[in-house]
Amino acid sequence: MANESIRDLMRKSDLVLMAVCLALAAGFLLLAGKNAADAGKFFSIDSLFFTAVCLLLALTFVAVPALALRSRGIHPFGVPDEVPPARAAEHVHFEGGMRLFLNVLLGLLGLTVIEVFLAYIHVPLHIMLTLLIGLSLIKAAMIVAYFMHLRFERMSLVLTLIPTLAVCICLLFIVFPDSFRTQRLRAVKPSAVEAAGEAGAPASHE
Amino acid sequence: MSTEAQIGRLPATEWDGGALPFRVGHRKLGMWLFIVSDAMTFSAMLVAYSYARVASDDWPTPFPFYPSIIFSTTMTLFLLASSFTMVMAVRASAHNRLKAARRWIMATMLGGLVFLVLHSIEWGHLIEEGLRPFRLAGEWAHRWPNSPPLFGASFFAITGLHMFHVFTGVCYLGVVALRISKTRHEDVEISGLYWHFVDLVWMFVFPLIYLMSVDFKG
Repeated sequence: MANESIRDLMRKSDLVLMAVCLALAAGFLLLAGKNAADAGKFFSIDSLFFTAVCLLLALTFVAVPALALRSRGIHPFGVPDEVPPARAAEHVHFEGGMRLFLNVLLGLLGLTVIEVFLAYIHVPLHIMLTLLIGLSLIKAAMIVAYFMHLRFERMSLVLTLIPTLAVCICLLFIVFPDSFRTQRLRAVKPSAVEAAGEAGAPASHE
Repeated sequence: MSTEAQIGRLPATEWDGGALPFRVGHRKLGMWLFIVSDAMTFSAMLVAYSYARVASDDWPTPFPFYPSIIFSTTMTLFLLASSFTMVMAVRASAHNRLKAARRWIMATMLGGLVFLVLHSIEWGHLIEEGLRPFRLAGEWAHRWPNSPPLFGASFFAITGLHMFHVFTGVCYLGVVALRISKTRHEDVEISGLYWHFVDLVWMFVFPLIYLMSVDFKG
């Protein structure tokens, strides 16, 4: 139906012009892509300039058909002022306002800054790891609960998703004893050999 | 009225059949299951990285405050901000304000693009220093002589997979923004779920890859 109305509205010469413009735009897009791929260091001024020029030319040629469609009152990607009926019939459940989400965002940003600050404090590795992962888990919980809206979903969904993930991730930790063992299995540590060879002093790790 | 809405209003209990046990559409449930499986992929990679790190005598901690930590922190802030704009887009879509929803999605895509550009520059710094998947950068081998050459492999694999997710997310959001008048609210919400998941993964990649490898001399 839509195709027929478009065909009625346009003459053959317009269609040819549009096809040529679209072909040229596609060509320039290809050229831009090839230029970006060939440039060894993409963020140098030269390659950015040529890629940008190609993209600009492609945009110019796309503009002709886009404006022609617009002048005929065809907006393929336009947003209608009234709500489409399929959407209006939908039963939507949404909780939370801008204030709640802003608070969550501020909390997440604050925790991130704390994490970066913590990374610069000299503490034993396992304490730092526990602190960082603990804070990250809090952040993840905030994102899942409020941004991904899981807090406002049914409990059955939460109980299906979260324990599954938690159990599978815990199962992955089964490899860790092995990684500690690999280190102890080595008869002589390379650092010990080096230190003994250089000074004959007892080797201290690090 | 859509079938899902009809089913949701049926008086049948879960055990009588005919009800959606989770009260979400099948597409949204599908996205949730995909997110769970993708979270397992990322956790497997992070566990493999931790395994290699624990099993090694030494591991490079090469990230100086400038540029690496400044860049990665800025990237984190942009990703978090884009998650906020995405949730605002879903909210606008829930209230049927389509133009506002499209604008919020565009802002989200902008945040994602800034993340991608900053991360590529950050990769460029490391590659310029000579870091390769199975070779340490020039000076690093002298500073951390007992470390295996796996730093590049773990770094590029994990952050590369995450960058690929961000890139896919930007493309996905672009399609949703263009077709916003033809989509249903649930579709916008599903794209939001994916975007928040990308953000969520970075919340673990950032401390484990960047903050655990801070160079105190830098």
